[in-house]
Amino acid sequence: MNKVAKKRFLPVVAVLLVALVALPLLTACSGGGESTVTGGSGQDKLYIYNWEDYIDTALIDEFSAYYEEVTGRSIDVTYTTFDTNETMLTKVQKGDANVDLICPSEYAIEKLMRGGYVRNLTELVDDLGDEYGMTFDNLGNIEPDVRTAISAVFGDIPTGNGTSGNMLDYMVPYMWGTLGILYNKSVVSQEELDKYGWGVLWNAGNNPELEGEILLKDSIRDTYCAAVMYLRDYGMLPEGNSPSLGKPYTEMTTAELINSTDDALLDAVEKVLIEQRDHISGYEVDFGKDDMINEIVYVDLAWSGDALWAIEESYDEETEDYTLGYYVPESGSNIWYDGWIVPTTVRNELAAVMFIDYMCRPDSAARNTSYICYTSAVARDKVRSDPDAIAALLDVEYLWYASSEECELYTDSEGNLVFYYDWGDGEPYYLDADGTDFDGDADALTAFEAATDEEGYWLDGEGEYIVDADSMNLFFEDTARYAEITDSLGIMRDYGSANDRVVQMWERIKAGAETPWELIWCLIAVVLIVGGGIGLYFAREAFKRRPRRVVSAAAPAKDADGSDKKAD
Amino acid sequence: MTSATAVQAKPRKRFKITKRVFAYLYVLFMVLFVVLPLVMILVNAFLDDGGNLTVENFKTFFTEESSLIILGNSLFVGVVTTAICLLIGYPVAYKLSRMSSGKILVLFFILPMGINFLIRTLATKAIFIAMDVTLGMGTVLFGMVYNYLPFMILPLHTSLSSIDKSYIEAAQDLGADRSTVFLKTVLPLSVGGIMSGITMVFIPTISTFAISQLLSNGKIFLFGDSIQTKFDQGLYGVGSIMSLVMLAFVLISNFLMNRIGKNNNVGVGRSLW
Repeated sequence: MNKVAKKRFLPVVAVLLVALVALPLLTACSGGGESTVTGGSGQDKLYIYNWEDYIDTALIDEFSAYYEEVTGRSIDVTYTTFDTNETMLTKVQKGDANVDLICPSEYAIEKLMRGGYVRNLTELVDDLGDEYGMTFDNLGNIEPDVRTAISAVFGDIPTGNGTSGNMLDYMVPYMWGTLGILYNKSVVSQEELDKYGWGVLWNAGNNPELEGEILLKDSIRDTYCAAVMYLRDYGMLPEGNSPSLGKPYTEMTTAELINSTDDALLDAVEKVLIEQRDHISGYEVDFGKDDMINEIVYVDLAWSGDALWAIEESYDEETEDYTLGYYVPESGSNIWYDGWIVPTTVRNELAAVMFIDYMCRPDSAARNTSYICYTSAVARDKVRSDPDAIAALLDVEYLWYASSEECELYTDSEGNLVFYYDWGDGEPYYLDADGTDFDGDADALTAFEAATDEEGYWLDGEGEYIVDADSMNLFFEDTARYAEITDSLGIMRDYGSANDRVVQMWERIKAGAETPWELIWCLIAVVLIVGGGIGLYFAREAFKRRPRRVVSAAAPAKDADGSDKKAD
Repeated sequence: MTSATAVQAKPRKRFKITKRVFAYLYVLFMVLFVVLPLVMILVNAFLDDGGNLTVENFKTFFTEESSLIILGNSLFVGVVTTAICLLIGYPVAYKLSRMSSGKILVLFFILPMGINFLIRTLATKAIFIAMDVTLGMGTVLFGMVYNYLPFMILPLHTSLSSIDKSYIEAAQDLGADRSTVFLKTVLPLSVGGIMSGITMVFIPTISTFAISQLLSNGKIFLFGDSIQTKFDQGLYGVGSIMSLVMLAFVLISNFLMNRIGKNNNVGVGRSLW
């Protein structure tokens, strides 16, 4: 008896044991798209954890070749992705992310630094430099304005073990951008944008075409920022002093406002966002760009990179113009920075730092920027003056060669090239070769003696093609791509302990305050149909009972009561 | 001699492949993907951020007005969807069960189920946009009914077509007119099918999240959406509680349906369950 019971029990125990062993393996494999980019058996390994679609993937292969060339060792790069900072944070904090490099947003880096999950990169670079005799010069290519902006906000972050540090010692900026309004030029005019600012998202101008054709981000951080800016633009900020900062809301800077989670402000935001529900089409995180390009909606709250991508796609062959535009209201907005960090769990320090360094090369920056449309943190002037970067941009047709059909060439007194454009409509203008406006004396210019090829492209003295200054201007002087970093753009930090309250407010907004009338009507209709059927049945029964005394052999009349239950 | 036979007998027994052995793989699957996740949800429900034991998550969920409104809305949507599915599905299933080609026609109702529901829902959305229909509760309800109607028709058809024709003939012989035959014979015999149809529609509708999100551009927020947000924002505790609440509703409705089905089922109407 006992033996039989034991035998039956054993397989179950075995199964449970196997399950327990298999579980950690399964969870380790799950989550995030994982792809080993370079195949096979490299001597070294590098694990990268980045946003989806956030790199020109060809660069990873090229890095492997570069690594082998420098160190003489082959390397396998495993590239995994995450879709939100929160997913990444949970994985890292639970110790499930065994990676060498991560690229989160600034507020997530702050959180990780506070938890002591991040290696000090400055020290690491010094150590590696001493050990291998290498210099990682490209790390110095980062835009100084970006460094200043990050340092100003995250200059002193406690790093867990009683010390504190500047975030710049822990991260290398990779991409940055702004939050703004992606709009359809045929529906929303520039005047409307200037007049209503963030109010466009509330259809403040009562534009009948725009009503119900607005998309918001299905992410509280971004929508919260837009709502706070709207409150300020329209003088609807709560009255009195902010309990957390001790000064009136109206005197707070953009950064202070979008980071404030006072109850009064949360209530005001909740109110306007619930009001907004009547004017919008919905909330999105992924299909907004496509809906904008297909002109299903006309306004979308968007990040600069996504917006630039959508604008490029919206080129209309007929009008020879882009149907979409991107606008950051002058009153202020959110600016964000994503950067590379090396977690404390790093196993291949050298490869990690070399990869960051490789990403900071001007040509890598140019390729990433043209590939994903976000703005690289590598200084604009470094990219502009780097021949490899220019070649990369020429490859993907962001830049093109100057043609004698479009421009005339001049040289100024110092021998620099100056381009002259006259398109027939609007003022003719002069541009320097780097795409900036020519601010010298136009009369002092002398015509440049240049040859053209058979198709009319200009050739310089050595017979090389010349990069068109107008294309340089379109790429490097685009304010959507290279926004001017001012105080009106605020960095958003982590909500910290207020996170739960903010999420709850967001749920209330998403749930909506209105009664679901469609549902009630449907229910009433269903009740009416069922009730009608039952009523008809009883009426018939009552009717039938009476003539029963006169016994009739005739079959009952054909059903015609229309009850849904009687389909035949 | 005796010891030798014992040795021989033993390995024979050990390597015997019984039918039960084939079930072990599924048992393993069940433990890994059904039992363990449930245990993890249960554990998470009682843990706070720091991993300490707490009942705070319960309090958060049951005191937060919006969560309860969302739950109420979801149940409401579930009830309405089920009612509409039943109203449309029953006549269709009844008609099909009376037709000789009914079995083939049922295929037409089941065929769309072969396409992934996400693709179907995206296609529905595209059609609505092309027709310039405002996305909202109406479109969500349409999507729900469209997606779950086959789940109603299938069990109804099975139970209706398995009703013995002689019962109906007997009723007619005894002088019942068509409506009486239907109400006193066909309807009671198909209660089993109705109950499994309701269960198969109601339970998925209260937990759905993709349909409501896609067909309303995220403006209609149901319980499933709320759970997803909770997990997205790292609020595992409250999210787990909500999953448990959902599970409770599933179990309750299953239990109720079984009870009603048992009380009314005369034992003839076959159901899918």
